[in-house]
Amino acid sequence: MSKEFLEVQGLKKYFEAGRPSLFSKDTRSVHAVDGVDFTLRRSEVIALVGESGCGKSTLALLLMGLEEPTAGSIKFEGMDITHLNDHQRKQKDLRRKIQMVFQDPYESLNPTQTIEEIVTEPLLVHGMLNTPDREERVTKALEDAGLKPADVYRKRYPHELSGGQRQRVVIAAALVLEPEIILADEPVSMLDVSIRAEFINLLAELRITRQIAVIFITHDLGSVGFFADRVAVMYLGRIVEIGTMLEVLEKTQHPYTKALISVIPVPNPRLRHERIILQGETPNPINIPSGCRFHPRCPVAIEACALTDPAMVTLSKTHQSACLLLVK
Amino acid sequence: MQATLQTSEQNNSLAARLLVFWRVFKKSRTGVIGLGMLVFMILVAIFAPLIAPYGRLETISVSDIYRPPNALHIFGTDDAGQDVFSNFVYGARISLTVGFFAAFISIIIGGIFGLVAGFFGGRWENFLMRFTDIMLVIPDLPLMVVIVALTKPSLLNIIFVIGLLGWTTTARVVRSQTLAVKSRKFVLRARAIGAGRGHIVSRHILPMVMPILVVQAVLVISLAILNESALAFLGLGDPTTLSWGQMLNYAFGRGAMSAGAWWALVFPGFGVVWVVLGLTLFGQGLEQVLNPRLDTHHLMPSRPNVRKEAANAKPIPSQALLEVQNLSIHYVNEGQLPARAVENVSFSLNEGELLGLVGESGCGKTTLMLALLQLLPSAGQIVDGRVFFKGVDLTALNEEEMNKIRWSGISIVFQGAMNALNPVRTVGDQIAEAIIRHIPTYPREAIPARVTELLDLVGIAADHRDHFPHQYSGGMRQRALIAMALACNPQVIIADEPTTALDVMIQAQILELLDSLRKKLGLAIVFVTHDLGVVAEMCDKVLVMYGGVTAEYADVDVIYNDAKHPYTVELLKAFPDLTKPKKKLSSIPGYPPRLDALPAGCRFAPRCPAAFDRCHTQQPSLHRIGTHGHIASCHLAEVGSTVPLRRIAPRTQK
Repeated sequence: MSKEFLEVQGLKKYFEAGRPSLFSKDTRSVHAVDGVDFTLRRSEVIALVGESGCGKSTLALLLMGLEEPTAGSIKFEGMDITHLNDHQRKQKDLRRKIQMVFQDPYESLNPTQTIEEIVTEPLLVHGMLNTPDREERVTKALEDAGLKPADVYRKRYPHELSGGQRQRVVIAAALVLEPEIILADEPVSMLDVSIRAEFINLLAELRITRQIAVIFITHDLGSVGFFADRVAVMYLGRIVEIGTMLEVLEKTQHPYTKALISVIPVPNPRLRHERIILQGETPNPINIPSGCRFHPRCPVAIEACALTDPAMVTLSKTHQSACLLLVK
Repeated sequence: MQATLQTSEQNNSLAARLLVFWRVFKKSRTGVIGLGMLVFMILVAIFAPLIAPYGRLETISVSDIYRPPNALHIFGTDDAGQDVFSNFVYGARISLTVGFFAAFISIIIGGIFGLVAGFFGGRWENFLMRFTDIMLVIPDLPLMVVIVALTKPSLLNIIFVIGLLGWTTTARVVRSQTLAVKSRKFVLRARAIGAGRGHIVSRHILPMVMPILVVQAVLVISLAILNESALAFLGLGDPTTLSWGQMLNYAFGRGAMSAGAWWALVFPGFGVVWVVLGLTLFGQGLEQVLNPRLDTHHLMPSRPNVRKEAANAKPIPSQALLEVQNLSIHYVNEGQLPARAVENVSFSLNEGELLGLVGESGCGKTTLMLALLQLLPSAGQIVDGRVFFKGVDLTALNEEEMNKIRWSGISIVFQGAMNALNPVRTVGDQIAEAIIRHIPTYPREAIPARVTELLDLVGIAADHRDHFPHQYSGGMRQRALIAMALACNPQVIIADEPTTALDVMIQAQILELLDSLRKKLGLAIVFVTHDLGVVAEMCDKVLVMYGGVTAEYADVDVIYNDAKHPYTVELLKAFPDLTKPKKKLSSIPGYPPRLDALPAGCRFAPRCPAAFDRCHTQQPSLHRIGTHGHIASCHLAEVGSTVPLRRIAPRTQK
């Protein structure tokens, strides 16, 4: 195996969900992430798309080392980082190289800290407070995150900023450590439309100027379609289709992906089209359906789908999908 | 924007922080009074030798026993012929010292226990909290009596006994606050950057727990003072000192009651009451400052809206089902300029029509919708304009008449399905209640069937009727809210961001449902959203709002293919379109205006790529374009205007 930048193999995370009844012996578990493989290259943007309950946020926490995987491995620059504890992660500089941006900019900033304190905090944690260029680094991080001029914002508190500005502060606090990967968990879903684009453009710019790879987690394929290099579609803890953005959008193979794409609103009433609206919701990850986990909601399911769990089918060097209909 | 940035520039020094604190604190009258009472008594204690006319425990003359208050002894004298006023002044020293030191011990212990239990959880929490529970069940006073009686009743002992027994409530309060803070996202974020436990506790948990600890401290002090008085009164005080409690004890034990010497009892008692009351009031004030949620919020309903009659407003009854004419709503808060939340907005809605109301947060769309139902919070006032529903002016109706229209005529589907449902009642129950409340005459026996029918209408199986909201998924809760809105067969439904928090697929399901209901029941729907894509999928007409005013109002096709207002144009460009992948999204620089700091001219001018001089000084009026009711409030849309829409660098830089 070649030395990939980030490589995830067979990653699983089961949560104990207690016993079905008081007297039952076996415990149930939630299969939040159930065998995920993918790789990420340097300065690549990958979009992880799926509905809530598909395990995408758990996957992010696993990659950050904030949850312990049940099985599988995560390799970063060839080094196995799957089971490192907090201390080892910090020693290996992973806590600096991999940063995360959370969904809710209102919740992810401590209201009692000033912007300067928030952006300086990572340096403090990593013992870099006394580096001579500290001031410069903070300024640069703030300005790279689009908070210009930095001095206007330093002494302010989060509640004095708008949602978009707060999300920029979160980004600045990540940038100050000069990370190599940014994991963004629904970073724009709480932002106004006119500001969303600005934020996504900011990420797109950072990958070029700072060579940062981005894992962009979202339920809305529409919001990342144009800037992701690759798209991975998740359903019930697994990736069901992965490929370059154009492959997934234009040569869509998996029926779930097709449905997801069809319901993305098109901002033009002249292009109103038939939408494939799946009935029901993502099933409870405690009871994963037999065979293909998508078959109960699949509009084109055949009998075999209830029996066989489809393996990934390679369609091109970059494009893979797990659907029985592709095997024929 | 620039101006507000500079004024809010704050100095971080302690003095500046205290100044800020004081500015807020002084708004609370009870707090200031409490603080005054407290400071007064502390000063009395500190300057006791200067204030007291006689020395500490100085007997004036044995013959002066139980002298009533007079010019020489303003509080009278006690059984030993001592000046009560002097003893009172010195007693303040003892009582306050015991109170403060004992409380200090309690707060430290309670704070540490609570913090450790809350932060580390698991076995630590189990042990500490069970211990706390046990301590809580044991009545404090008898235990103190036993311990003090067993040990030597010296001042130090008393301080420790009170301090060591008074920490339980503090531990519980601190634990719950720690738990709440620990689960917040910024703590997770700190962990993600590699912060250790010490760092998280000192930088994130403590600053958030501190305010509660301070309020708690004030309460614990007053409790400690009361406890000391009780102990002393029971004869367990330090006999060498004279606290207020001790004074009471002596007076009571030595026949002050039978001698009719009320002054020997009343004045020390008054001292205790004074300090405890002062502390309580001060605590209340502190709580108001440190816990802003207790502040009376502008959303609290109170007085009804008084509508100011516009002098020349002559109602023009309309043909449409729902028509809003030149509606303006201001939020009026005392001592502040009115926030012009909605200004001069008009639209009309016919049966079976779907109007999309599009705008970003703070553009006034929710205010407008609340005004349609006359549900504005107390600060919100309709200052101009009319709302006609089937030809009736809703702004002229009183509360009772309006109630007949709410739900049966116009109903609303609120945003945030979890908060809009009562978590402790079944969904079926809540729908039934909606029917009964709005149609009191509805035959009771027909209600279960009606509830089932409504649930069926929104695609929820009848067997989910007796489930609680938490057993529903997000999409189902939203459906339940729609069922509730349909309960009284309204003709108009206002859907306030009904799909915002939902996944795309569930969003599509809800949109399909609303669309089918509209066709099946002939409903007119006002769909409030910030999502232009959703609007394009299903609306007939679109009203784009910006900063409280109509930016553009037109048929859906015109909005998407022939928009005239630069805001609409820019918003569309900012919207991702998968039919044109790889196209770079353009964003609108800057941020929407705050309603209390609106720009002088066009509200969009500071962000507008096409703004010219006039835009910054003069607010554009609504211009009619063509004959199909297309309206845009932009100087460029003026009839005969020749200024082309061109890209000019925005004037104000960030």
